[in-house]
Amino acid sequence: MNLLNHSRRRASNQLVASFANRFSESIATAINVVFARCHVSACVALTFAAGMGAYVTSAHADEVYREIETKYIFGFTEGSGIGLEGEKEFSPDTVVNSGKRDGHYTATETKLKLEVTPNQFVQFEFGPIVAYHNIQNVTGLDNLNTLAFAGFFGEFRYLLLDRSASSPLSLTLSIEPEWHNIDETSGQSVVNYGLETNLNGDLELLKNRAYLGFNLLYEPERTLTQSGTEDEATLGISTAFAYRILPNVTIGAETWYLRHYDGMGFSAFTGDAVYVGPNLYVQLTPKMFATFAWNTQVAGHEVGAPGNLDLADFSRNRFKIKASVEF
Amino acid sequence: MSMICWTRMKLSAAAAATLFLCGLACVPPARPAAAQETATVQISVKNRQFEPAEIRGPANKPIVLRVKNLDATPMEFESVTLRVEKVVPANSEGVINLRPLQPGRYNFFDDFHQQTTGVLIIQ
Repeated sequence: MNLLNHSRRRASNQLVASFANRFSESIATAINVVFARCHVSACVALTFAAGMGAYVTSAHADEVYREIETKYIFGFTEGSGIGLEGEKEFSPDTVVNSGKRDGHYTATETKLKLEVTPNQFVQFEFGPIVAYHNIQNVTGLDNLNTLAFAGFFGEFRYLLLDRSASSPLSLTLSIEPEWHNIDETSGQSVVNYGLETNLNGDLELLKNRAYLGFNLLYEPERTLTQSGTEDEATLGISTAFAYRILPNVTIGAETWYLRHYDGMGFSAFTGDAVYVGPNLYVQLTPKMFATFAWNTQVAGHEVGAPGNLDLADFSRNRFKIKASVEF
Repeated sequence: MSMICWTRMKLSAAAAATLFLCGLACVPPARPAAAQETATVQISVKNRQFEPAEIRGPANKPIVLRVKNLDATPMEFESVTLRVEKVVPANSEGVINLRPLQPGRYNFFDDFHQQTTGVLIIQ
């Protein structure tokens, strides 16, 4: 009986391996075609193929890998996880934007997040924001070198669709009101209100090992300056892949497409950008983890300006560094 | 439009949004309208082992999970798929309310002693 089960399992693993090989080849080929114009196919396709290749060799080792929270395994793309009921976390979350068309530009924003999950359906996050700007000789921006308190944010996450044995898809709606007293790009004093609205989804491709994530983003903002009121909006879509190479280490890659508008609607388009990049998630201890992500702008367009990137509305590179401690 | 009207509109919108979010927070995702009567499932932890290691519960019904820690050290019942964690002090009982679940296997463990594992089978 055991021998029969072993044979069945082996045949099943071979079938899975064969499917995974074909799947990884298909994905790598598709990625190659899509990103050839952006000259980034090697980076993304290799990450995908490596992940799916590892999938083949480890299909039988599932029992070593427990379920994980998917919220932070995709880099800038957020998974659908809302934490566990009763969980409280403190997590400094830093995003670094660097590079404009000329000069030297570095702007960081750190959210000192307190995350609370009061039940099995919702999660709340809130905290202050700290910003650092180092701007030297960038066209259209004043020189600046400051570290300052930059505002407050709150986030409400609601689980719309729960993953189950019959459905590998999970969806969460996230609404994040923000108040800034410092402009995120220029570092100048302003009063800014934003409402980042996100649909976070992820699909479990291989139980406890491989995940496909996606986000839909709409972020309207109103900024009050000494010269008047300015409205703007950012629209975005992302897709990301994450694969656990070790029980406590997940690697992946993601792609973002962002569009920027003057006004809260979509009539005054000012530019768009495509970002790609890798990410890493490490579970340091049962109660601590850290994530790292890097996105670089590989394509884009700024209305009324030459060049293949939009470096007015978006930065050349962006990095995300996050640590989290549960208590 | 006067500034006062504009401010009132903003306050009304903010209040409506707050009420909406609070309301949403109280409403779980769509689930079968089937009976919401609660089932109770019990499990113990002794010598850092769940007893029994495999427990069963009904599908699509809220479940009250009673976790009795018979050890002299605290344990933390945790499960990503059940989306709960709860510290149960030594020689005491913890009560965990689970949402109605789809049929399937839901793994759990003691986060303080990670080799202590079990599974809830919903059928």
